[in-house]
Amino acid sequence: MGRYLLRRLNLFLATSFVLIAVLFITTSYFPTSKVVALTGITEPTAEQLQNIETTYQLNGNQLEQFFAYAKARLSGDLGVSITSQRPVIEELTQALPASFELAIVSGLIAVLLGVPLGVFASLSKNKVTQHSIMAITLTGYSIPVFWLGLTLSLWFGVKLGWLPVSGRLNQLYEVEPVTGFMLTDTILWESVYRFSAFKDALFHIILPSITLAVLPFTVVVRITRAAMLNIMEQPYIKAAEARGLHTSTIVLRHALPNALIPVLKNMGLMLGTFASYAMIVEVIFSWPGVGSWLVSGIYQRDYTVIQGGVLGVALTIIFLSILIEVIHNAYNPLSRKELYAAN
Amino acid sequence: MPLLDIRNLTIELDTPHGRVKALERVSLTINPGELHGLVGESGSGRTLLARAILGVPGHNWTITADRMMWDGLNLMDMSAKQRRNLMGSEIAVIFQDPTGSLDPAISVGSQLIEAMPKDKQVSFWKRNKARKATAQKWLHKVGIKNTEEVMSSYAWELSAGECQKVMIAMAIANQPRLLIADEPTDSMELSTQAQIFRLLSKLNQLHNVSILLISHELDTLSGWCDRLTVLYSGQVMESGPTVEVLEQPFHPYTKALLDNMPDYSGALAHKSMMQTLPGSAPALQHLPIGCRLGPRCPQAQKRCVSKPSLCHKKDRYFACHFPYHSEPCNDDTTS
Repeated sequence: MGRYLLRRLNLFLATSFVLIAVLFITTSYFPTSKVVALTGITEPTAEQLQNIETTYQLNGNQLEQFFAYAKARLSGDLGVSITSQRPVIEELTQALPASFELAIVSGLIAVLLGVPLGVFASLSKNKVTQHSIMAITLTGYSIPVFWLGLTLSLWFGVKLGWLPVSGRLNQLYEVEPVTGFMLTDTILWESVYRFSAFKDALFHIILPSITLAVLPFTVVVRITRAAMLNIMEQPYIKAAEARGLHTSTIVLRHALPNALIPVLKNMGLMLGTFASYAMIVEVIFSWPGVGSWLVSGIYQRDYTVIQGGVLGVALTIIFLSILIEVIHNAYNPLSRKELYAAN
Repeated sequence: MPLLDIRNLTIELDTPHGRVKALERVSLTINPGELHGLVGESGSGRTLLARAILGVPGHNWTITADRMMWDGLNLMDMSAKQRRNLMGSEIAVIFQDPTGSLDPAISVGSQLIEAMPKDKQVSFWKRNKARKATAQKWLHKVGIKNTEEVMSSYAWELSAGECQKVMIAMAIANQPRLLIADEPTDSMELSTQAQIFRLLSKLNQLHNVSILLISHELDTLSGWCDRLTVLYSGQVMESGPTVEVLEQPFHPYTKALLDNMPDYSGALAHKSMMQTLPGSAPALQHLPIGCRLGPRCPQAQKRCVSKPSLCHKKDRYFACHFPYHSEPCNDDTTS
């Protein structure tokens, strides 16, 4: 297992290296001076210019410039934003928790509702139930997320007025950030209004998280159902039945753990799609996360923000997909068999 | 009263080629404490019969039977829940594919412990430990020495023989009244085979467990079983006490099987043909009408296109229009 983890770490480092290389190459193509593209300082003083030249080795050859670039970026120096003139790293660390909060809540909705519904769809003998579940999930899978987000906010936000349609929290509450997650921050907030603030944060997250959860939810339902249908026909399920075990024991102890393995694998594959959907949802609901920050950066030709955002998002996705693969292997004894055979 | 009494059990499978009778009017009687052998080629429906008795049918099966009695209770009338309660406690089964019959995602030990009987006498905090101890005891009995190691492994880490022993331990731990052993020694070396058969017959003698032993090897079955049932292509050919069947087979198929058994007396000339029936067993979608042995049978005549009914002669049953050493029944003109 140790050797396997080392190999995965190696994969992470290599992919990140390629990512930084791509970023470095594209930076030189930005239609602005290299100094601005690298640091975001539009009118540098002579002293600053001197500094930039030494940090980024601008007088050296391409390779030296690349290593200087990688060194600066990895030490957390992402430059300053061209529009706001604040350090990009600061803006990024402010935006990331909001995105994570949204992603975690939608992921939980998708898995906690999707897996039971998938199991139910596979066990149901009733054709009407089966077909309606499949029809609904197929519809959910095909609905474009921007349309869904706008429709939901139109109905539940504007027409019915039940839920807020933008932001994370009402401006009335001045919650100090502790974890960056609004749901926990409001609970930790030392104020008599903490519960009303929590309720407000919860109301704010409902619409965006449901919009974002629709796609992974449908995928989870369909994959869980397919895997369960396959596994319920396996000889070990028949053998467990023949041992006289209760159906619920068979499903929960023998079928479900085996069925979740392909679900986990597909979640790893879905990360990229999920991230781009998350960006769209953030823009629609003005969620102050990385997505809307990055999109506004693109609109404003804020080259340092684009670089920083792409670096942050891509590193997160690489890390998470490798993490999911490691979890998948740790959890699934069968893939360990393949690993040992491969070594 | 027989423990298990099945009359005219028919299993139809829905296949892409239409509905086929994989098992046609099979009758089987097992008395308490009997070691009953079921012999047949692969594809003759032995496993289907075992699963029908147990009550774990596949999704495309249609089961019809005139009678299916378990110890005086009608199995056909029972609800799925009642059948499930019988399984494991009264009827246990050892499946053919031992590695596939164990869950690959959980360790063997936890599956074994799960199958152990729950002892209500033991207080609940000691119960898991007690069940683990019982599991180890049964593993010892089936001949596994390194119990700790086997119990902490996954099914795919063990050899097929070890998996089979684990399956046997699971099946017999609840001390069932009927044990269906579907090729229990399929993937084992000879010494282990003998060990398993000894274990089964000891179980039969000491605990009065009836055993339905399914195999394709007539010579192994003949050594251990009290009674034999010969199955060919989903039809019962002959059934009766082992000694009598071996001594004087009524049915041409039984005789062919006996002739197949190599004797090492040296009477056979060098490079001469082995005694076999011409042709091969029919595929499920090309079953002949009437007696399914018909096209291959040396005794076959025109009448064999109608299925012979099962004849009863002094503790022996056979389904043939032209049996050896006996007269056919005359009540089969209608069938």
